Amino acid sequence: MEEKNTEQNKKKVLVVDDDNNLRRVLVDKLSLSGFDTAGASNGKEGLEKALEWHPDAILLDILMPIMNGQQMLKELRADEWGKNVKVIMLTVIEDANSIAQAMEDGSLAYLIKTEQTMDEVVEKVKSMLK
Amino acid sequence: MKKNLLLVEHLSISTVVLVILFGLIFSSFSLIQNVWTDPQRYFSSELSVSETQFYVVYMALVLISVFVSYIIYLLLTLRTRAEIMVLDKTKSLLISLDQFTKLYEGAPVPYIILNKKGEIVESNKAALRFFGVVEKEIIDKNIFSFQPKEDSEKADKFLQYYKSNIPINKEEIRMITKSGEVKWVMLSVFEMKDLKDPTHTGLATIFDITERKQLDQAKTEFVSLASHQLRTPVSTVKWYTDMLRSGSLGELQPKQTEYIDTIYKVNEGMIDLIDLLLNISRTEIGTLKMDIKAANVIDITDNILVELSSQIQEKNININKQYNNKLKNIKSDPKLLRIVIQNLLSNAVKYAPQGGEVGIIFKDSLIEKTISVSDNGIGIPKGEQFKIFTKLFRASNTHDSQGTGLGLYLVKSIMKTIGGDISFISEENKGTTFTIKL
Repeated sequence: MEEKNTEQNKKKVLVVDDDNNLRRVLVDKLSLSGFDTAGASNGKEGLEKALEWHPDAILLDILMPIMNGQQMLKELRADEWGKNVKVIMLTVIEDANSIAQAMEDGSLAYLIKTEQTMDEVVEKVKSMLK
Repeated sequence: MKKNLLLVEHLSISTVVLVILFGLIFSSFSLIQNVWTDPQRYFSSELSVSETQFYVVYMALVLISVFVSYIIYLLLTLRTRAEIMVLDKTKSLLISLDQFTKLYEGAPVPYIILNKKGEIVESNKAALRFFGVVEKEIIDKNIFSFQPKEDSEKADKFLQYYKSNIPINKEEIRMITKSGEVKWVMLSVFEMKDLKDPTHTGLATIFDITERKQLDQAKTEFVSLASHQLRTPVSTVKWYTDMLRSGSLGELQPKQTEYIDTIYKVNEGMIDLIDLLLNISRTEIGTLKMDIKAANVIDITDNILVELSSQIQEKNININKQYNNKLKNIKSDPKLLRIVIQNLLSNAVKYAPQGGEVGIIFKDSLIEKTISVSDNGIGIPKGEQFKIFTKLFRASNTHDSQGTGLGLYLVKSIMKTIGGDISFISEENKGTTFTIKL
């Protein structure tokens, strides 16, 4: 578990990505944008963190070791609290099946990393948490 | 053999009939002779009434016998001919049945005969090999019970289809064999009328498509893996430079900004190239999927022009837009259409001269909807025009510009996928116009 800001009034965002560099820059950017942030490096760790910390939104990668993003999303949706949490898939996988599956499993947005600037990612999170 | 016996029987009966016939004719012959030589005796009043009656009756009997014998002979001949015909037909039917049985038994495709409940009543050897069983292990089992448990909803649906006489045609489903191996198959079940046993009502064929499915899966995984391996590092560079450029981590010196901007720009080029390569892979391995919905071609084009604005400004290019509002809402794949228009527009901007002109013309006629992208640039040499859509082709007059030789190849592949077409006219040093038909 990584960076964390525990101020009460801030919205909490969990970043689940196995790439340390990408996870770090996302956590940094979201923290600088006023969010309380935390990171996890795979689906299993992300699921445990989410169920314990109850974030307002989760940025979720797909291809990860131990437990991938799709599995984590399914497990999350099976939980009483987790079934309503806002999830944005943030991935490099662009095939139609993965997108359709993510939407079916209850993700609210599907963003391709190479197509998004940092500001666009932050805007998406903000608009989702309005 | 039966045919020869029939002929012998026919001959014997015919002979007996003929002997009786000739016997009757002979026996009446002496009577006729007597009547002929001495008619007065037979037709005089010397004869009693009963004697005359006897002769008349006798003659009548002879005539009737001849007639009846002839009819019997005719009937026998007809019967024998019919029987011989039936024998011939039976023989050819038996040959056909034998050939069919050999085909059914020896066919490499599993064939399964079902009863009304979908239970297996008979199967060929290929079906036994497919499931890895002997016949008694498969008989009476429901064909739809061979689907894995997680596909039970699908299995129930197909069973209902079958019971309602709805044909199951080339459905791709999973089936489980005796050893527990899950195989992908293409299942077809059709209604069948078995005259021998009317309870046999369905014929199922199973094509094993496991290898094809595995190959499709491997292809998809390859593109996913390539996407991951190639896109993750460029995403990292994109976001880290983004953080520096945005000033979130403190203001940069002008020289630092210039350097960071260059890194960002080169990285964006790398992202475009990776996207291009991935799209090429998808078209070549057949995993480029269409998602047809309402596409606003005007918005798509305007967005691309915004993306290209720095190059347009740099070269001071005049953009001549002739939009048609009817193309605001067409049915196509917006994402694929975007790749096509993006490639054509970026080529036009790339090859137009300094201060040149790029035209975008939308047309909507009764026959077709078209988008034309033109430039007044270097053009394509006439002798090379036939190669323009081939992979890695670069015209000999393009040495000044960067390019991969993949863009137009991808554009052509995409137009083929979305059911459109692309054509062009070009003259060296005067310019080129590409037209896509939607």
